[in-house]
Amino acid sequence: MRRDRFCYLSRRLLAAGGGTLALGAMLLLALFAAAAELGGSWFIFAAAGTAAAVLLLVWTFLWIVRPFSCQEKETCRFLEGYSSNSAPRAGEVFLSPGGRQMQECLQKMLDSSELLKLNKRQAQYLALQNQINPHFLYNTLESIRSEALIAGLMPVADMTEALASFFRYTISKVENLVSVEEELQNCETYFKIQQYRFAERLQLTIECDSADREEIYNCRLPKLTMQPILENSIIHGTECKIGTGHLKIHLERTGKLLLIRVSDDGVGMDEETLAKMNRRLQRSAWTTASQSEQPEGGIALVNVNNRIHLLFGEEYGLRVFSIPGAGTDVEVLLPAITSDRDVPNKAALRSV
Amino acid sequence: MRTETLRMDRVSYEYQGVTQLDNFSLSVWEGEILGLVPTNNCGVEALFSLLVHNLPLRYGYIYYHEKLVNDWHDHRPGHNRISVIRNESCLAKDLTVADNIFVLRPGFKKWHIRPRVLEEQLTPFIQEIGVPIRADAYIDSLTTFQRFVVELLKAVVAGSRLIVLENVDAFISDSELAKLQEILTHYAGKGISFLYLSAHFEETLRFCHRTALMSNGRILKCFDLESGSRGRPFLPCVEDYDRWVRARLKEGERSGETVLELQGVCRGNLRDVSLGVSAGECVVIQDMDGCAQSDLLAVLEHGRPESGRLLVGGAPLRSGLDRNIAIVQERPMETMLFHDMSYMDNLCFNMDHRFPGIWTDRGMYRSIRTEYAPLLGAEVFDLRVNELTARQKYDLVFTRLLLQRPKVVFCIHPFKKAEVSIRSHIWELIDRLLKRDIAVVILAVNLADSLALADRLVRLRRGSIQEVYRRGDFVKLPISTPWLYLHQEQHETEKAAGQQPAGHITTAPLSP
Repeated sequence: MRRDRFCYLSRRLLAAGGGTLALGAMLLLALFAAAAELGGSWFIFAAAGTAAAVLLLVWTFLWIVRPFSCQEKETCRFLEGYSSNSAPRAGEVFLSPGGRQMQECLQKMLDSSELLKLNKRQAQYLALQNQINPHFLYNTLESIRSEALIAGLMPVADMTEALASFFRYTISKVENLVSVEEELQNCETYFKIQQYRFAERLQLTIECDSADREEIYNCRLPKLTMQPILENSIIHGTECKIGTGHLKIHLERTGKLLLIRVSDDGVGMDEETLAKMNRRLQRSAWTTASQSEQPEGGIALVNVNNRIHLLFGEEYGLRVFSIPGAGTDVEVLLPAITSDRDVPNKAALRSV
Repeated sequence: MRTETLRMDRVSYEYQGVTQLDNFSLSVWEGEILGLVPTNNCGVEALFSLLVHNLPLRYGYIYYHEKLVNDWHDHRPGHNRISVIRNESCLAKDLTVADNIFVLRPGFKKWHIRPRVLEEQLTPFIQEIGVPIRADAYIDSLTTFQRFVVELLKAVVAGSRLIVLENVDAFISDSELAKLQEILTHYAGKGISFLYLSAHFEETLRFCHRTALMSNGRILKCFDLESGSRGRPFLPCVEDYDRWVRARLKEGERSGETVLELQGVCRGNLRDVSLGVSAGECVVIQDMDGCAQSDLLAVLEHGRPESGRLLVGGAPLRSGLDRNIAIVQERPMETMLFHDMSYMDNLCFNMDHRFPGIWTDRGMYRSIRTEYAPLLGAEVFDLRVNELTARQKYDLVFTRLLLQRPKVVFCIHPFKKAEVSIRSHIWELIDRLLKRDIAVVILAVNLADSLALADRLVRLRRGSIQEVYRRGDFVKLPISTPWLYLHQEQHETEKAAGQQPAGHITTAPLSP
């Protein structure tokens, strides 16, 4: 501890005071030289003084002002709740030993694997609360299906089968990464169930460039990324709309990115609600998890966004676009990866 | 696999403590023409600055050609090779087209410049787009459209992968706009991306691959061509406008005495123009090639055509002093207000012909203030001109006209550079003049906003009248005219009801 303190003090002296002392010495030397050799030529005196002052300013800016303003900016954004997978970076700024310890502690608290565990614990608690037992549910649904088949009620059998496969996909191993193809199949199953309710009032289109289809379908993404968004679009978008609601899942791939856009032509939302929604998505998972007040809605989107942030980084996630009466687009931005090994935060994937 | 030319991801940017862009997300694909329709000017300038220069961000990431060029963690100062084309030219006026395109481009290192070589280099580009521009022509001698094309070629030659065009449709005619759109589509096919900023949603939806709607420094939503084909999307920002124009279209025909007569007027490019405008009528003069407008204004200002006659209220126009005629200049907020004068002095500026002692009569000021407070708001009279909002400035300019009581008002590009919300207010202000039986003549190049007000449309080509459309005939206008759906709907309704289409003006003669 004592050694750390010494190091901190000496580095600080070197950065702030050392530069000043060195330049002061240079200035004095220049003055002596000028006075001795040129018999007090004021031009050389002024030039040496100006050069020394400029050097001092540059030195101060590079070593003191710039690192501190960078850290100050990051700290401000962090306090405002902006997404960041780490605490404000100490970087080039020399922190005191106590400050560095606090930094490390904060880093530990913000560890994404810890956050994922927290998310999982919340989900388990909810499952217990709802008394859901997956095996009991599958078995019961299969029994209903066989009864329906015996009775010749084919629509009931189909519906029960869709419901069973939906729950099987949804409840088991939520933490896994899945392929886009599997996720799309689940979306179609979910849509099939919803169609029993809405019939022709609901239409779903899945589109992507046929040349890139295989590459897109092989990409990996967190399980249950698309279905909650689709559900949101139906419940908050098209359900409240008069007439047929069109839902569209559009997939696009670039060299590094996978872009998924879930659009609806439902009721949309006003500018203020949209801004609030995007602000919530922009804030970090930690801020969302530690929020004491009850959120007003859009929990599914925030949850999906948090999982993406924690696994891939803050530059990925969800963005929402909407106009009242013209519908809503939810854009999911993901890294284009085809193997679970490519996940940047592998520890987070293993920990859950 | 597609390539992204630009991605602005959740960008928040502040300038002098004011948030300009807030959670702004936008992406442009390679070879895409993306329309951008801002409902207000908030953040537009900041967007241009951020595209070209990597300025410090409050939050967010900017990728150009799939490479991170600016992010909030680490500010890396620098420029992006993105060109912005706007009304203010960035070309050197005293140099030739070839010099501007090749010599002034970054990276040109030759000491000895051979005009013939430059001309040869330019020829394939000119032939490719099919616009006749001479390589040795000086920029000063070009039309606005040709200048836009030269700027576009300059950007292409300089290697810009993204070109931004700001409100070019406000300065060029319909046919030129169609040609420009053809050129953009041609270069988009070659992988160059375009961000086409326009105030007219219908227009961008028609030819852009996607159109993004921007408000208060945020992108609200993107619409693709498919959305356009599914019918006109509902936009809250134009809701008032829709309602207002529909009500106006239902109004009956206007009839009154002829207040303005142009009888075979010639001056410069203006050739044998004969036109009559009646009281309370709105006539839109569309200068198709933009060559006659300055001559028409010169006739109005000096009252002396080379041949023919100009009558206002039956009497010849008096040079410069005739208060029966008023001209609302382009961008009146900047050109028609006196910042060192008080609000009341600005308001009563043109009233001296009605009340010669107005400048010293405080009682008159008080009564004007009392009369116009419900219209303008009681608080504005004590404000300085530079403290007024854009809306209040427009109120001031147009209320001044009400006090002046001219017989005819000429408005030069009245909607130029105005925000979408302000545009609907300008419509209301012009309508207020019409309801006071003041004739309004709008000089426009693009019909986008003016057509909604017009009772008659007069199209000038090469300085002479080419076509005249009355309101009932607006449905016959080329499909490229924005807002035409309102006229078409009205026409269909009237046809279904078996009525004669409303709005035909019979009293105002075309040629007096």
